[in-house]
Amino acid sequence: MRDPRAERLAELIAGYSLRVREGQTMRITGDGSALPFAVALYRSGTRRGALPYLEIRPPGLDEILFAEGNDEQLAFISDGERMQTEKVDSWAMIWNSSNTRGLTRVPSDRRRIHLAAHYRMVNRRWQRVEAGELELCGTLFPTQSHAQDAEMSLAEYEDFVYGACHVADDEDAIAHWESVAEELTARAEQLASVRELRIVGVDTDLRVNVEGRRWLPSAGRHNMPDGEVFTSPVETATAGEIHFAFPSIFQGREVENVRLRFEGGRVVDAEATSGEGYLRALIATDEGAAVLGEVAFGLNYEIDRFTRDILFDEKIGGTMHVALGGGFDEAGTQNTSDLHWDLICDLREEGEVYADGELVWKAGRFLADAAVAHA
Amino acid sequence: MPDTGLEKLAEVVVGYSTAVGPGDVVRIEGHPTTTPLIQELYRAALRAGGQPTAQLVVDEAVETLLAEGTDEQLQWVPLDVRWNLEHGDVWIALDGPENTRHLSGADPAKLALRLKAREPYQARYLERFGAGEFRWILCAYPSEAAAQEAGRSLKEFEALLHRAAFLDAEDPVAAWTAFGDRLDRIASFLERTSELRLVAEDTDLRLAVAGRTWICAKGKTNLPDGEVFTAPVETSLDGTIRFTFPAAIRGRQAEDVRLRFEAGELVEATAARGEAFLREMVGMDDGARRAGEFAFGLNDAVTDHTGSVLLDEKIGGSVHLALGRSVVGTGGENVSALHWDMVCDLRPGSELYADGELVYRDGRFLDGVT
Repeated sequence: MRDPRAERLAELIAGYSLRVREGQTMRITGDGSALPFAVALYRSGTRRGALPYLEIRPPGLDEILFAEGNDEQLAFISDGERMQTEKVDSWAMIWNSSNTRGLTRVPSDRRRIHLAAHYRMVNRRWQRVEAGELELCGTLFPTQSHAQDAEMSLAEYEDFVYGACHVADDEDAIAHWESVAEELTARAEQLASVRELRIVGVDTDLRVNVEGRRWLPSAGRHNMPDGEVFTSPVETATAGEIHFAFPSIFQGREVENVRLRFEGGRVVDAEATSGEGYLRALIATDEGAAVLGEVAFGLNYEIDRFTRDILFDEKIGGTMHVALGGGFDEAGTQNTSDLHWDLICDLREEGEVYADGELVWKAGRFLADAAVAHA
Repeated sequence: MPDTGLEKLAEVVVGYSTAVGPGDVVRIEGHPTTTPLIQELYRAALRAGGQPTAQLVVDEAVETLLAEGTDEQLQWVPLDVRWNLEHGDVWIALDGPENTRHLSGADPAKLALRLKAREPYQARYLERFGAGEFRWILCAYPSEAAAQEAGRSLKEFEALLHRAAFLDAEDPVAAWTAFGDRLDRIASFLERTSELRLVAEDTDLRLAVAGRTWICAKGKTNLPDGEVFTAPVETSLDGTIRFTFPAAIRGRQAEDVRLRFEAGELVEATAARGEAFLREMVGMDDGARRAGEFAFGLNDAVTDHTGSVLLDEKIGGSVHLALGRSVVGTGGENVSALHWDMVCDLRPGSELYADGELVYRDGRFLDGVT
């Protein structure tokens, strides 16, 4: 039976995120576990007069690729894939996995070969997005495997996902996200004048310089759900320490209780209660991996818990996140790296953020106009 | 649990049928039901040094398109599909349906429009296939829907496919090679023939095959396989033929089809059921009213009608005639967006004359002919 919430989510992505128009090509990619949702997107695209098509991968193939493939096969990108990346007008990516831990035990050097090839495609996609040539939105369809990661039943997880996207009932979801876009744009404009942020919380006192960088609102065009404002900090100034109470996950592997100390923009000390070796290895990926490429406020208050999926976790209302590694060109970054690892800092209980010395955020809310931040 | 049957099948498809080699870009596609075989094929293709990708076939999308699509949408061919047909090296399509009747309610005109738009790409990949630049195969997979269509349990249908693909042989590839030799002998006999006359109940059809090439289907482009086919001379068909089995295409079918030809052209087409659909299909274009293929089914492990054309046209003791596009490499010249195979069981009673001489009776070539 069709879940009307999934139908509404598809309509939201086609109508608001991707703004699918008549005659446009619309690529829908995902894993077989997301099939019902892929069909819903296809239907929405068809009804808008677009030219949608599905590329749904059967589950389990990456596991086979990593088990059997040689280096050339791991790094292979077909000319057909390149052609589509260059030509397609809009692209809905359903980031489902039938088993989120299927690749956990793959040796990291083999992962790196695969990732390096695919990062080039990711970068090319974003170039086209920034040039206004491509509309791109990533999303997730609630399935058992993701519910399991989130430690919920499927029914609970569906409520959570559809709630976070504002399609749980028949409210006008497009109107909601348009108002979020307005609010976050206003927030980004306010932050534009800030030179330094100081983040204070449990075992946390970190100074991040954002002078001259551009803050960007993220309100449902490229991710659904969404709700953050982010920038890329000045690379040489980050100083102090930060503690991440949520597990930090990279490619399915968890590191717990990460503590980082920065001096002059670089990580100088990194600890964790579990997975410390992995943490250190990731920071040693390359030069840029020890430098922050992102600092951001999570502002979606429908997302009220950690679910082990970065699409949701980085938007938890009342958190901040920083990313080790590559930054965003449109924010003005100078940092490049093969790593981009988002680490989430929960500031909902005791957090404070100061902008150039002035308290602007307390216990997970912007102070001056909490209503604006919250919606 | 490893399924050795699927592993064996994947080895035949990748190692023998499509002969995947290092660097070959391989596209594998099938319904979600076929996922276990897709995975085995993907593994086998990697081991052969290929670069496989795989996509699921999603019936609901096609249904949506046919129900709601505009002409522009119906005629558009997706980028990945086009790229594969124009530039890919190997295409492995699996036939393991989820619902063999899912298009029963679809508008035949829309179905025809969609098929017609794909015709240039069909022609292109068949041309590339003919030139040795592209290999493709359609491989049957035992799904519940296919078993149901065949009136069997899944286990029974699996066993049928297993036998029909020669997977019960110690060395399936050797079995296919030996079988191919037998087909070659039949083809070389038919090459020396100018005219065939087929006589059976409600059937008396003459067709010229002089100058045409007979091709042996020995497990390279279909699995299971086993037929020898050509394209008859387009202007030569004369007489009537009645198809004992329902004629199915793209999830729809017509039953008890009777066709009458004059000078190669279809002048009368009736069906006990689905006649409107039959007329819609043969009205698709001019070529749809001419025959593009005549073939002998020669796989004796396929004994009964299953409702899957892939299998039925291989039934040992059957012939089939296709309306529409000629098969590449036969010398046939008929062009059409349609290629509709209709199968006639000759085992219950039939005679076939080659240039006036009786060569085949009740579903078997006579001793000494081949």
